[in-house]
Amino acid sequence: MSSNLLNQDFGSEDEDDDFNPVVQDDSDAEEPKKQTANTSRRGNDRIDEEDEDDARNGDDDEEEGADEENGDDDDDEEEEEEEEEAVGRPRKRRRGGVHSFFEEEAGVDEEEDEAEEDEDELAEFGTEMHPDDLDALPAGAETDDRRHRQLDRQRELDATMDAEKQAQMLKERYGRNRAAATDALVVPKRLLLPSVEDPSIWGARCKPGKEREVVYSIQKRIEERPAGSRNPIRIISAFERGNIMQGWFYCEARRQADVTEGLEGINFYYPSQKMILVPVKEMPDLLRVQKSEDLNPGGWVRIKRGKYHDDLAQIEEVETNGLTVTVRLVPRLDYGMNDDSAAIVDPKRKRSAANTARPPQRLFSEAEAKKRHGKFLSSNAGLGSKSWNYLNDTYIEGFLVKDMRVQHLVTKNVNPRLEEVTMFARGGEDGTANLDLASLATTLKNSTADDSYQPGDPVEVYRGEQQGLIGKTVSTRNDIVSLQVTEGDLAGQIIDAPVRTLRKRFREGDHVKVIGGSRFQNELGMVVQVKEDTVTLLSDMSMQEITIFSKDLRLSAEMAADGQLGIYDVHDLVQLDAATVACVIKVDRESLRVMDQNGSVRNVLPTQIANKITPRKDAVATDRNGAEIRHGDTVREVYGEQRNGVIRHIYRSFLFLHNKAQAENAGMSVVRTTNVVTVSARGGRPTGPDLTKMNPAMAMQAGRGRGGGAMAPPQRGRDRLIGKTVTVRRGRYKGLVGIVRDADDQTAQVELYTTNKPVLIQRDILTPKDPITKQSLDGGRGRGGSRVPFGNSSQSRDGWQGGRTPMAAADSSRTPAWGGASSARTPAWSGGMSGSRTPAWKNDGSRTAYGDGNRTAYGGLGNRTPAWNSGSRTPYDSGSGYDAFASGSRTPAWGSASANTGNRTPAWGGLPNGRDQRDYEDAPTPGGYSAPTPGAYGAPTPGASAPTPGAWADNAPTPGGAFSAPTPGAIPKRGYDAPTPAAYDAPTPALGGTAATPGASYDDDAGPRYDEGTPSP
Amino acid sequence: MFFLKEEAKVITLHPSYFGPNMREYLITRLNEEEEGRCTGDHFVICVMDMVDIGEGRVIPSSGHAEYTIKYRAIIWKPFRGETVDAIVTSVKPTGIFTLAGPLSVFIARKNIPSDIKWEPNTVPPQYTDHADQVIEKGTSLRLKILGVKPDVAAINAIGTIKEDYLGPL
Repeated sequence: MSSNLLNQDFGSEDEDDDFNPVVQDDSDAEEPKKQTANTSRRGNDRIDEEDEDDARNGDDDEEEGADEENGDDDDDEEEEEEEEEAVGRPRKRRRGGVHSFFEEEAGVDEEEDEAEEDEDELAEFGTEMHPDDLDALPAGAETDDRRHRQLDRQRELDATMDAEKQAQMLKERYGRNRAAATDALVVPKRLLLPSVEDPSIWGARCKPGKEREVVYSIQKRIEERPAGSRNPIRIISAFERGNIMQGWFYCEARRQADVTEGLEGINFYYPSQKMILVPVKEMPDLLRVQKSEDLNPGGWVRIKRGKYHDDLAQIEEVETNGLTVTVRLVPRLDYGMNDDSAAIVDPKRKRSAANTARPPQRLFSEAEAKKRHGKFLSSNAGLGSKSWNYLNDTYIEGFLVKDMRVQHLVTKNVNPRLEEVTMFARGGEDGTANLDLASLATTLKNSTADDSYQPGDPVEVYRGEQQGLIGKTVSTRNDIVSLQVTEGDLAGQIIDAPVRTLRKRFREGDHVKVIGGSRFQNELGMVVQVKEDTVTLLSDMSMQEITIFSKDLRLSAEMAADGQLGIYDVHDLVQLDAATVACVIKVDRESLRVMDQNGSVRNVLPTQIANKITPRKDAVATDRNGAEIRHGDTVREVYGEQRNGVIRHIYRSFLFLHNKAQAENAGMSVVRTTNVVTVSARGGRPTGPDLTKMNPAMAMQAGRGRGGGAMAPPQRGRDRLIGKTVTVRRGRYKGLVGIVRDADDQTAQVELYTTNKPVLIQRDILTPKDPITKQSLDGGRGRGGSRVPFGNSSQSRDGWQGGRTPMAAADSSRTPAWGGASSARTPAWSGGMSGSRTPAWKNDGSRTAYGDGNRTAYGGLGNRTPAWNSGSRTPYDSGSGYDAFASGSRTPAWGSASANTGNRTPAWGGLPNGRDQRDYEDAPTPGGYSAPTPGAYGAPTPGASAPTPGAWADNAPTPGGAFSAPTPGAIPKRGYDAPTPAAYDAPTPALGGTAATPGASYDDDAGPRYDEGTPSP
Repeated sequence: MFFLKEEAKVITLHPSYFGPNMREYLITRLNEEEEGRCTGDHFVICVMDMVDIGEGRVIPSSGHAEYTIKYRAIIWKPFRGETVDAIVTSVKPTGIFTLAGPLSVFIARKNIPSDIKWEPNTVPPQYTDHADQVIEKGTSLRLKILGVKPDVAAINAIGTIKEDYLGPL
């Protein structure tokens, strides 16, 4: 305790700079001597004052120090400071008198400087008790009154100061100093270290395990022969290091002879083995306390051996010596159920029995204990709670409370598991608080190290020399974290700091994730309050406040992707069994909390879940009023609690609703569809562009009851095969003839002539026959398409559309376009193209492409383009760069046609002139193209075709020019003869086929035609 | 805080809208889709005007036309530390749920002054200091935003009334 004064002087300079510099300087000059230079007067002062202090508060060393130094310090100040010191160190027994000679244990909770203090005290005692001891002091120490004068001056100064000012100054000074003084690293201790002038320490051997007894013996001996007696023991102190240095104990004395003399005849001491002198340098190490285990009440430990081997225990209380710990355990008792009641209690047998069958962990139940072991049971009614005594153990609130030695406990890497910890939950708010804070604070502190700090974490140095620094972690290795300072003078620098001096720094409002081993692991939330290193956060999921240590938090960039256990996520719908589904409302580390369709909440393990039900967003249900409700709609319960919420899941007639404002069950509730009414349909329901709203055409269609822009289904009408006489080409009915009574896409019901019974026959093996001639009619196999070619040529519309292809097949190579389309055009083309065109056609053979192009242009396919653009073929459009159809330059060809077919021109004219072909394709107003296709084509074509026959027939108006070159008259003839030049060799048959004159076409076509108009028998 | 922000949006138009009032339609669409939208970062409060509607482009193979519209809009981006007025939507033992315009702000119990206590027995339940301050559903509050958590299409915020000049208005 003498170090208080010393602290003042040795404390880091910056802290003391502003305080009383004169004195400071003075004392600085004296530093080297101070350690041992306590004079008797000073010593007396101190002891008196300390005694007073002890009467008031014995447990606060540093505070006392402050008080001592300024003896007239007022009480208020002192109390205030005591209160500030939130975590008092364990009460340290005041050593006085002869006790001060002994370091009973190696001061678990003491800093090494206290060893020095003891030395000082010893020195003081020495002066007081016996003049012999004076020679232990350095020469001149007792005559040096400098310190006294200094102290007097100081007191004078203090007395003159205004009390308030003084208090403030003290507070400022020690308020800071206190934190610093508790840390071994801060105070420069090297000045307190022993020097050669101090008493030496000898290490001597004794029987291992008996070190303490030896020390006690020495103590006793010193009591018997105190200094000043006739034969004093001159050992100043003795101590042992327990397990660390087994078989050794240490004595402090001036001379080796003193030690040898003092140890004479002490039990277990081995005088034969040589005593060693501990080098001055190593002295501090001797007293260094290995503070590896911070055992704090509430922390978790494991039992090393015995019945509770490997069981988790919670520290109830730590004895001040730090060697014995009271722990709380979940008992493993069988209450004598497995005992043979007749057997004599044999301790050995019992133990072996316990080993073989280990009762499960269960809370103590006095009822069960009374059944068989009533005699062993007694109750102690304590002040707070009732405790039971059973088989020499104490049970409180069902837990076994037991004193255990630290050696029998595993204190490192305890890693309490969830289910173990939950057994200790005391229930209620107390339980939660107790569990989390305690477990976090103590148990996991040891394993803080690496994983809890990751680069980028904002941290703050909260103790140590660099206290107050704020930065971001850059890297971590083992226990050292490199951080880049972000604020203050050192900003930008990278410094290293030990993990234990760091804590993470959060601001209110930060979105964080719990990473530590608490039961809140993986919880996401927003920081609500930060108090030192505890952070209160508001869970996103449960809207509950969680208080947790900042080291277990990390800034989270994730968006509400809370808790996940394997594949299960909060709010997932899972199947528990065939009849039960449930919604996950909480994901713990190892279990899930679910609410099933009946609203009951239970804990399940992931293994108990059959499968996860993938959400069906398109599920539809109806509410009470019959209105449609879907996923995402907001509904309200009509009866009961009138819960409302957004539909998360629809499962049969159950709705799982989510309501953010509801804290329990993660905001989920389950209701029946019949009990809810819609509050609002989901705002974001995909309305999309409402086509019916803006487009008048669409509106009209909608008015007609045909919604949307979908293509009308083909109106097929009566199947044309029905009623036809057919013959079967294959199968068991091969060759038989019958009449089709009914037909669908694939099969036809045929009433055979022979058996007069209807049979189902595949359609494609039927061949229509002329009922009279029994000649095969082509067709009847395909349905829509193949019909077209057999239609007469006036059905040009069909000809234009897809139906042409089969015809092309039928007509060999001739492009059906020509035939199907108005026959009038062919001459027009030939005329329009005149001579120059024809070769072109011939040459590139792309005439087909032309025909195709003709079609595909409207279909929007690109492959037409080259055909049109090939300059060789269409001289007129190559230059203009216009679409051949759109361009005016083509007009000669079309011009003639358009003269005839007035109604086609507008169709073309509707196209934007002067755009190049790409424009034409991409034109934003493809009015003529996509939607109105039938209009554009269907309409004009018949128009074109209509006049055509006329033109054809009488060569009349248009073709004057058009027909001039190719001599249409010649065409049909040549066409049939196929002498036509290349231009027409291919198409000829088609021409013939499409010629409006059926007669001619029949000539051309080999087979008879199956025609709509053909009368059926 | 409110900002005037210039943004661009691509609107795809079905061919059936190609016509004389296409422009109006585009504007309607823009207003419908943008106003009130939450990007997770800010709320679009109001579309001010179109800067440029741009040329449409027909998407090959579908016939839809794509318009890139540049427009200016008033947006609101809530910031940490911003003080806003809000209306209490519900009051729970855990805290107060409020709406500040489109933004839902939760005031946790910790962020309510300690003299304002949860009073579950009144109808409706309320937080009150048993004097002039009563917080129940519908109360107007002035609060300070403590933190803002962006979501995909929503923003959640927590606030405090545990400071001077904050609390029921």
